[in-house]
This record gives sequence, structure tokens and C-alpha cells, in this order.
Amino acid sequence: MGQRYFLLAMFSIGTLIGLAVPAPAQNPGSDVTIVHITVNMVQLDVAVTDKKGRYVTGLGPENFEVYEDGIREKIAAFGEENGAPRSVHYSGPGGKVPQLGKYVVDSPPGANLVAASSPGASVFVLFDTSNYMYRGFALARDAIAQFVRSLDRTDRVAFYSYSRDFFRASPLNDKPTQVLQAVRSTVAGDDAALYNALLWTLKDADKFSGRRVIVVFSNGPDDASMVSPEDVRELAQSEGIPIYMISTREAERDPLSTAVFKRISTSTGGKAYFAGHWQDQEKAFASIRADLAHLYTISYYPAPNPNNGWRKITVDVKKGKGPKKYSIRTRTGYRPRVLPETTEAIPMNVAPLPSNAGRK
Amino acid sequence: MKSLFLRSALFITIILFPAWGMNGNGQSRDSSPSAAGTDTAQSSSTSISIPGPLHSFLRMAAISQQVSEDEVVPLLAHNVAIEGYTYDRKGRRPDPTEYLTLLKDYVKQARELVELAGPLQVIRISSCDQAGPLLKTLGYELASPCGPDTYLATSDPERAFLTDDSGFPLTALEETLRGGEPFEYGFGTFKVPVMFSQGDWKALDPNKKDDLLDAILSDARVARLYWAMARIDRNTREFLRKSPGLKTLLPFSAALDFYGSQITIQSGHILVPGGRSAEAAWAQMAGASPGTPDQFVTHLLAKDEGWLAAYFDGLSRVDSAQQAYLTQPHNLESFYKALVGNSSSPGPARPVFRPDAGLLLLASGIELDASGKPQIPGGLAPWKQVLQDLQQQDHSRLVREWSGRATGWTTPEQLLESMFAFSRLNLDDGPLQAYLSVNAIDRTCSSRTRLAPDTVRLLATNFKKFGDQYLTFSEFPLNNTSITRFIRAAETIDGIHDRNLRSDSLGIFQANIGLWKILARQGEIPESSWDKSWQAVIKPFLGIRSSERLYDAARSSIRELFQASSGKPTISQSEVIDLLAGPEQTSPEGRQVRMELANKIRMMMSAQRLVSLDTLFELGDGLNQMSKGESPSARLIPLAAQLRQFQLPKPLFTRGERAEWSMGLYMNQHLQSEMQTSVPKIIKTRPSADKIRAARGELVPFLRDTLVGLNYAYYEPPGAQMIYHNALFVRSHDFSGASSMEEDRSWKSPDLFGRGLSAGGGAHLVGSLTNLPYVLARVEENFIVPNNVQSLIWEDMVPTLLTGAVLPRWWNVTRNELHAVTLYQRFGEELVKAAGTNPQLRQRVMDIFSNRMLPIRFEQVERELSDGRSSAALAQLTPADTFHLAAEFRKKYPLADPEGGEAKKELDQLAQRFPNQLSWERLSVDFGVPHPAFGATDARSLVNMKPFPTYLGYSSRLLAESWESNNLYWARLADEKGYPPVMLNLLVPQLTYRMVENIAATYLADWAALLRSLRTTGEEFQQGKLSSLPGPVSSAGL
Repeated sequence: MGQRYFLLAMFSIGTLIGLAVPAPAQNPGSDVTIVHITVNMVQLDVAVTDKKGRYVTGLGPENFEVYEDGIREKIAAFGEENGAPRSVHYSGPGGKVPQLGKYVVDSPPGANLVAASSPGASVFVLFDTSNYMYRGFALARDAIAQFVRSLDRTDRVAFYSYSRDFFRASPLNDKPTQVLQAVRSTVAGDDAALYNALLWTLKDADKFSGRRVIVVFSNGPDDASMVSPEDVRELAQSEGIPIYMISTREAERDPLSTAVFKRISTSTGGKAYFAGHWQDQEKAFASIRADLAHLYTISYYPAPNPNNGWRKITVDVKKGKGPKKYSIRTRTGYRPRVLPETTEAIPMNVAPLPSNAGRK
Repeated sequence: MKSLFLRSALFITIILFPAWGMNGNGQSRDSSPSAAGTDTAQSSSTSISIPGPLHSFLRMAAISQQVSEDEVVPLLAHNVAIEGYTYDRKGRRPDPTEYLTLLKDYVKQARELVELAGPLQVIRISSCDQAGPLLKTLGYELASPCGPDTYLATSDPERAFLTDDSGFPLTALEETLRGGEPFEYGFGTFKVPVMFSQGDWKALDPNKKDDLLDAILSDARVARLYWAMARIDRNTREFLRKSPGLKTLLPFSAALDFYGSQITIQSGHILVPGGRSAEAAWAQMAGASPGTPDQFVTHLLAKDEGWLAAYFDGLSRVDSAQQAYLTQPHNLESFYKALVGNSSSPGPARPVFRPDAGLLLLASGIELDASGKPQIPGGLAPWKQVLQDLQQQDHSRLVREWSGRATGWTTPEQLLESMFAFSRLNLDDGPLQAYLSVNAIDRTCSSRTRLAPDTVRLLATNFKKFGDQYLTFSEFPLNNTSITRFIRAAETIDGIHDRNLRSDSLGIFQANIGLWKILARQGEIPESSWDKSWQAVIKPFLGIRSSERLYDAARSSIRELFQASSGKPTISQSEVIDLLAGPEQTSPEGRQVRMELANKIRMMMSAQRLVSLDTLFELGDGLNQMSKGESPSARLIPLAAQLRQFQLPKPLFTRGERAEWSMGLYMNQHLQSEMQTSVPKIIKTRPSADKIRAARGELVPFLRDTLVGLNYAYYEPPGAQMIYHNALFVRSHDFSGASSMEEDRSWKSPDLFGRGLSAGGGAHLVGSLTNLPYVLARVEENFIVPNNVQSLIWEDMVPTLLTGAVLPRWWNVTRNELHAVTLYQRFGEELVKAAGTNPQLRQRVMDIFSNRMLPIRFEQVERELSDGRSSAALAQLTPADTFHLAAEFRKKYPLADPEGGEAKKELDQLAQRFPNQLSWERLSVDFGVPHPAFGATDARSLVNMKPFPTYLGYSSRLLAESWESNNLYWARLADEKGYPPVMLNLLVPQLTYRMVENIAATYLADWAALLRSLRTTGEEFQQGKLSSLPGPVSSAGL
């Protein structure tokens, strides 16, 4: 064998803290190219509910146990509800008692990211403009506008739309008026390439740190995507981005779409809603808003794990002495991705954030 | 069949940035009250009033926001005529589409708002309690009583839909209702110019509408006639308005739309193809003299349902030598008779596309010898035989009829008559396409030896099956033996019965041919050994019986390939990738660019988790040694483990669901065989020698994927989203055609399959590897995010543009050549500038332009120059226009030195010092684009021709191939920025991609939109806004 070429997997998982930038290097005096491994922190957004579906609040890092492929992971940062995450230190006998420390430091300057310490969430709303009946279209815009108005003041919102093509109507920002203007300016389209659009949205969301969620408002089955829902789901899981899906009755009538929407949302830690009437759509948005306000954010550096394939994540909650049954909703796992340093061409359609974004 | 691009969109979406057209006060910047105040449309008015802001109307009418006011009514007429109705099979019974219904509803709502705005044409709301009437018109209501927390909610969904869709500033209104600043929004009428007068058009409207806008919205024929007349030069259309008059032309609006743009009246005469000498023949054909334009035009449009007009249009677009031949009295009549045949039905003017691209391709493809006679590849004899052969394959009446006549042929014209007849067949693998393809190959061969009659017959009779593969022979002048051996090898592979073995053989054979083409094109296989290496690469595939034999054949073929290109029979995958990235470079920037391209290929191979050639060869060798009783090397087990490294995504569906929802098409036997490989087990268990030997056959599917993957990675346009986000994209390539429910596509250009099939595992390609760059670009275009959302122009235009950027490489371009491309364009601009003040020069310039401009643009440029507005004329010219102008001018007037331009002087000096580098032939190859649809070849060239229209079966593909401006313009930008020529290998694909994002077109043939996006991209580049591009390198002296 002549020259050797090493390509090592670059992991890009969730929120980055203590960011290490992957850099291809040229070995002096040879043509060997080395792509360094960068292992990032894994972030989980976790919803905990009791038997009656009520959110369980007031939990601390000591109440959570996180496993990856059965390996117990050490929680590195913890955040509750819309508060900024804080680092976790271990003290006490055997260094096993977790304690909340300082707020997590910002990302390095120039990283073009929202600081990891930012409170609130980055919410990417993806609106299906394909083949709408006019009645539904106008009312759906009302529901989305109301959702944007009612988000927490610390949240940032991006508004995208899709039919056959994807369109970034309003990049991520903290100005509701700008987003509302974009919502009100959306026009109807033709075919629906939902999974292509989700792919772009995930790639955009991956450029930011902190809690990120995608809220899809879909009118019906996908009929134009090139990528499969499996590929999109895996990307969402790898990036740690929950996907919430709100669908109209058209989608519910299609068993395939129903299955996909439910499974994608569940396995990424989100939820699926089928809302035939506009009032149900508003309820669905209200439910998502409530979810956003009650999520725990748990971050950890994966312990050494030889598995480069699918890694299963399990989260347990322990509170009080007696056995309590809680429902835990978070992503079910992820697969480390192999990605080039950049797959983008020239376009930089995502406008840089204003300097004070996420720092209220 | 070529894909017929019919827009599935009922709506063409043009999304604006939210703040478009708004100043800080919510006032539309373009909607100030018209100077005339409330419009009182008079019949003599030369403008019409558009209710509401222009940007809203453009949005609802699906017209690009970037058009000028002059273009608004013609484009509205186009969209109404083409998008506004559906028709029955015979092109009758127009039924309004949603697009038209919505547009009409918008106009109605906008008129109501104009009323509300009053004489000052401003909607003014100072406080919440005044808003009732406005909100009712808009379809909204207050969700809660007036106050700081109120907001708007839909009360009438239909109206609210129009309000939002048209971009009404609802959020600004909402702020006012909450107690903010008073809301003011200009909402008057906007005047746009009208061709002729309103009275001329209103007279046509049987419904007696009050306004031309209503007439266009209510009558498809009026809309179509308006659009047709708008594309005829000003003098001609004025003549036609007077006589025969719009009313007479109205029934022929469709024919005039498709075939009227070449009609020109000068000095009371119609300019006919062939010129004055052909007038008599045309007069006889039409039944009216070109000297009586009104009669001639009506006869032309009416005859044979429009076929004579189609013939006239086709012949008008070819060069003067071809026109002279085609319009010889006997030829003109006999070719037309053959074209029309026994029946003119179906006519050529039915919506929505012109049907007969073959007529134009045939006329423009006729090659004439020195005596003016057409050159027939192989002579007449093989074609007589081919027609008889075809009779056995094709039972259509037309083919039978002409096959019967073929035996008596004595002249080339008789063969051409049959081809004119066959042009009516709506096929992409019919006899005409075979003729055009063989013709293109013969032209390529002409520099060496022309095609032998036997080869012509072999190619033509096998066209239906292998025709798409012939692009290789029209690009590389291979000899008769090479061509014949390819057909024999292809027939052998085609005859393999075992489905998996056949698929793998097809994949490996075509992948190796693909690699040969890349290396030959890049000059890494020297031209002198093309035939030898070609034959060596395909020979091993002549006797495939089993997977083990295929493995050996593949390795043998690969050995020959790399022996020819690197001088070494065995090289590592890394070296293979370096070879593909480009020829070895000596300059630092050349090495850098080559390394970047090689790394791009490596990343894609890695993303697809393809097993390296090194591993597959070492495993094969190891198994071979084991079968001879040797102990396996310790390395074999970990190497074999690499075969199982790729993983399917975690399933989202159960098996039952998948079977039900993917129509059973998800079963991929190729993938299954890879998942079930027993090679690791065999190495561990060491069974019998026969079993070990047979295990090498299990390496074949992996070898196929790796070789196919190298082809994919080489041709991927920027982005490569499927490669990076569907790890099975390459592995899913279906060579057997199992996932296609149509014809056997084994040797055809690949088709996209599985788009929008959610349970199908993602889209993949079905077919061969020919035309791969185009099809990969078709995949990628689905991911391109337009700056101005509009899906027009994409379907066939974009892949053609991207192919023109990805397939050519610029390793051998010198700095002198690069600079010459700049100088040609600058010299062309100097000529145009000088022509504004120099009538003699203007005559020469326009004479050159007449060969590449349609009459309407010709007239516009000429008018600007006559009025001394050179800058306005330049604004209409493409880089290819100025480039060709300069080149033709230097050819025709080598001694002329108009106005002593600097570019001309520098160009002359450079050409004198470096005549070979600056030869037309070299520039044409280095900066041209492939013309697979127009010229049946992937060879790069620049062709001086008029822009093609859209055609059934081609959509805008022919149009895109006649564009040719991109590479010339990018080269100029690179030169002016000081980039070395090798940098074009990185710049051109990226700039083209960006240009595609910038396109904001209104219709498929929107040439002006292409020019706008080209210039916008150039400005972004010059201003350093395209951050991911490499920085300029200081320019060494020429």
C-alpha cells in the first residue's frame, strides 16, 4: 500500500462546551491528511411527568441517572426549565454527590453560536405551505403567530417554510415582530418536501448551542423529499434536537405519515399532535410551550465506548425513598456521525445573530 | 422518454423578505399614488392600472419582483395563458386553475382597498376603533377589545389568505391597533405600460370588459396573443396590428406564441429563411407572397394547423449555410411534405410545450460538405439497411412506411426526408435520435477516421438499447474497432441471466468506463493510447460467467486502466483518488487545488462508508492464497470486518409496514447480499478450496460500490447532500432496474426513483452511469435553497447549468488563455460602446448579432445603439454575446481597429505571441460546455447560436445548453481578481451554485433572469461576500 490516509470520525453531538474545533491537518513532508477526532458533550432535553401527565419540577442532578449503552455517565452540566445550565461538581464520599456549580461559561469568541449559558430555547418553526386549502392556511398562520407571541421572552425563534423548496423566512432571532412579519408573509406552495426541509432545519439548528427544538406544522404527507425520514431522524438524534410535529387532519388520514410523525417525535424527545381543527392546533402549540418551560437539560461527556454505531440512551429518575413511576421523555439514542468539515457551498443564508441574542 | 416537465405547481411562489417594500412607517415605497390620480382608463391609453402596490400584484401574479414595469403586462399575459388554465387532451376547453382564481380574487380585493384608500390613495388608521371596515375587507377581526394586548385573528379565511399572500403589512397594522403609531399604507393604482393601446385589446374581448387587465384575466386567447405579440419586434408587431389586425390573429394566438418570434417584416417584406432567393418557394408553400406580409403571416399560421409556422421557425434558427441548403426549392417542399405526412394532426401549437424539437435538432445538425451537400455518416447504404432493421423492431405506421421507401433511395435528401417525418415521433430513442447521435459520433471521428458503414449500422440498430452510452463516442474519437468491441461487451453483459451477477457486471463495467472517461478527459490517459486503453479496459468483461470471474475481470480492467493512466498496474486507492482529482501539479496553488478536490472525494467515500480498493484487493489476494493451502495472514480478519462496517439506519417501520408502504420496492438484493457476506466467517473457518475461491465473488458487490462511488464523488456538485445524509445512496444505485416499473433502464441514463416515497429509504438512481453529472445535479437541485423562492426554471435548467460547471476541468488552461477570455469580453464591450456613435461599425456589430439574437432582442439592442445608448445596449448582452462578438469580429475584420480600444490591442499582442493558446478551437474546448441534448455529445464547446425555446421532452434543457455564459464570466472574474487558472476547478462549481440560488425567474425561458442572477453573483464575488471561496493569489506576469 502506498500513501495512507486516515479519516477519523468526527463526532458532533449536541451542545458544545469547551469546544474543540475539528481541523484537517497536513502532515509536513507527506500527503497524509489527518482529520482529528473531536468528541463533544452530549446534551439531553428531558421531560419528566407523573402518572397524571403533570410535569415534575424541582429535580436536581442527583435525581437523574444517565446511561449510554448501559454505561453510567457522569453529568457535567444541569439546567432546569428556562434557566441557564450550571456545571455539576462531584463531592462527598467517593466523589459521588453531585452539586450544582457556576453557570456554564460562554462558547469561545467567534464561534458564531449562542452561548451555552443562554437561558431559554432556540425554537425553529417549520411551516408546511404545500397545497393548502385557503381556510386552513390562514388559520394555521394565526395559530403559529399566537405560539410565537406566547413564547418565553428568553426564547429565540426562527421561522422557516417549505413546500417543494425550503425557505428561511426569518433566521433565528429574539424579535417576535420580525418573526410575526415572516409568518404573515408566507405564501402557499406546491409539493411537500418535509424531510428535505427538516434536514436543512436540523443543519441550521446545529450551528447554535443551548436548548434547540424544532416545531413542525405539517399539512399532509411528504411527496417530494429525497432523503428518508430515517436519515432525518438519525440526524436529529445525533444533534440532540427534539422534533415536535403538529399535523392537520390530512396527515392523520395517511397512516404512513401518522406513523412517521409519531416515531420521529418520540425518538427525538418531542411529541406529535394531530389537530384537525384550528382550536386543536392552538392547544397543541400551548402544549409545546408548556413542554419547553419544563424541560431539564442534562449534559455529559460520553464515557469511553468502543461502539461507533448506534448508542442507546437511558435516563432514570430517582426521587424520595419510595418507588415512584415517572414518565421520562428524551431522545432514545444517537449514532456518531461522519461528516466533512463543511458540506456547505457558499450560501450563508442564516444571518449572524445580533450581539445581544440570548443574553437578556 | 425524456422527462416531460410539466409544472405540478398551481401556484408559483415568490416569497418576499418580510420587510420588502416597507419603510419604517409601514408605507410601501412603490405604491405612492399614481401621478394621474384615480385612473380613468381610456381606450387610447397606453398604460393600465394595477390596483394596489405593484409588489403585491407581482407576487400574486407569480412574476419576479426583479422585472421592469415594461415587462409586467407581457409576463402577466404569459402566466395567465400558460398557468391559468388546464385543457382537455385536444388542447381545448380551458378550465381556470387555482392560480387564476386567486389572482382574480386578489384584484377584486385590491380594488376594494383602493376604494377604502380614497382619492389620496393611502390607507390611514389612527386608532383601533377606526379599523373595522379595513379589517372586514382584509378578512380579519380583533381577537380581543382594543388595547395593548389585542391582536388580529382570521374572520374570513379566503380574504385573509389573499391579504397575507399579497404581503399586506398586517403586523404594522396590529401595532397601531395596540395603540402604536398611526398606520399609513399607500394603496393606489400603479400604472404599467401597455403594448399598443387598451382599445386595441379591449376590442377583442367578447365579454366587453372595461379594462385590459380584466380582458387578460378572462380570456386565454387574448392573454396568449398579448404574450406572442410582445415577443415580436416593434416594427413587425405594429405592422401586424394594422394588418391583418389583432382580431384576425386571435384564433392563431397559440401558433403565434410558439412560432411567431422569428417573424420579421422589413421594408414591407417578410424576412424568410434562405433570404430573397427563397421567397418564391415560401410563397408557393404558404399560398401568399412574403411581399404581402399580412396575407403571408395568416397563411403561415393557419396552414396545416401551424406546421408551416413551426417549419418556418425551425429553419429561421439555423445558420445561413444550412438555411441555403434547406430552402432550395425542392428541399424546402419535400422536407415539409415529409414532415406533415398524411396528417397534420396533432398540430404543433397545442399547450403547453412546442412538440417538435427534432425538427430543429435535425435542421441544425445537418453537416454540409464543401459542395454544399449533406454528409451522411457511413453513406446511404447502411441507413437503408438500418431502416429495414428498424422495421423489425418498430411497428409504428410511420416507420413501416418510410422503411419501405428506403430501398429505393439514391440521394441523401431522401434519407433526410425520412428524418423530417420521424421528427414527429415523440420519442427519445427513435430513428431520428439514432441518426443525430451517429451523426455526432461521425463528426467527432472526422479528425481521424470517419465511421465505417458497418459501424454505423451497428450503432444505429443498437441505439434503442445502448444509445445513451454513445455520448462516450461523441466525446472521445475512438476508432471503429473500439466502438464495435464496446457493443459486443455490452451485449455479453446484457445476456447474463443471473440477476445479481448482471447488476454487478453492469455496475463495475460502467464504473470503469466512467473512470476511463475522467482520466482521458483530464489528459491522464494520453490521446494517442485512447483506443488501446479503451479496448483493454472493456475486454475482460467479454466472458463473465460467475462472481469470481467478475472479480477477476474487474481487477484486470482496473489494472489496465491505471497502467494506462499512471504507468503502474497496481496503485492504492489513495493514488486512484489523487489521479481522479486531477493531473499532477507543479505549482503550489495547483497542488493545493488538487489536494482539496482529492480530499472532497475521500470525504464522500468515507461518508458512504465504502470499503477501500486496497482492502478488497488484499482480501481477494488473501483468499486466493488460502485456496492454495496457505495460511491466512493475520491482517485478513480485521480487513474482512471492514465489510460489515456500514450499518443501515435504525428502522422506522416494521417489515410489514415497509412492504405495504414502499410498494415492495425497498427490498434491495444488493444490500442484502452485502449484509449477509460470509467472507469473515470463511477466513476464520477455512472451508474447502472451492468455497474459499468462490468467496472472492462475495467481494464483487463491495467492489462495485467503491468503483461506482468514485464516479459519484467525482461528479457531485457542491452541497452533495444525499452523499452526506444518506449513507446508502451509492449502494442503492439500481443497475438492474428492479425498482423501476417501466422499461429496462440498464443502459439508459439513470432516472431518479423514490422521491417522496417515505418508506422507500430515500431517493436513488436507476439505470446506467451515463449522464451521471446531470442526474446528480438533478438530485442536488432539490436541496438548493433559492434566495427568492420560485421553483420555475429549476427542473431542467439547473442540472444543465451545474453539469456545465462540474464536468469540465481547467487543469490545462494557461494564464494567457484565462486573460484572453477577459480580453474577448472587454473587446466585445468596446465594440458595442463604439457602435453607439459609429454607424458603419454598428452595422457590422448587428450583422454579427443577427446570428445569435432573436429579432426582438436584436431590435432592442439596435435601437439602443442607434439612439447612442451603448450602456443600455450592453446591459442586455450576455458575456457569451460580447465574447462571440469579439471573436467573430476578429475573424471577419482582422484589420479593423475601431476606436483603438485597449482590449483589442492587448488581445492582438497576446494572440500574436501565443497563437496556439488563443486559438478559437482551444478556447472553445476549455471554456465551453457539454451539449448532450442539442449536439448529442459531452464534448465541451462554444456554439454561436440563437437561444433555444422550451420543447416537449426537453423543457428548458436545450435553452440551458445555448446559454454558455457562465464559464466565460467566471473565468473573467477569476482573471480580474488575480486567481490562477487552476482555481477555476474550485470557483466555477461554487459560483454556479450560488448563481442558481440567485435566480428569480418568471417563466421557463426567462433568459433575463439568468443574466440578472449571473451579474448578482459576480457582484457578490467581487465584493468578497462569498466567504467560503479561496482568497485570490497574486498574479504572476503573463
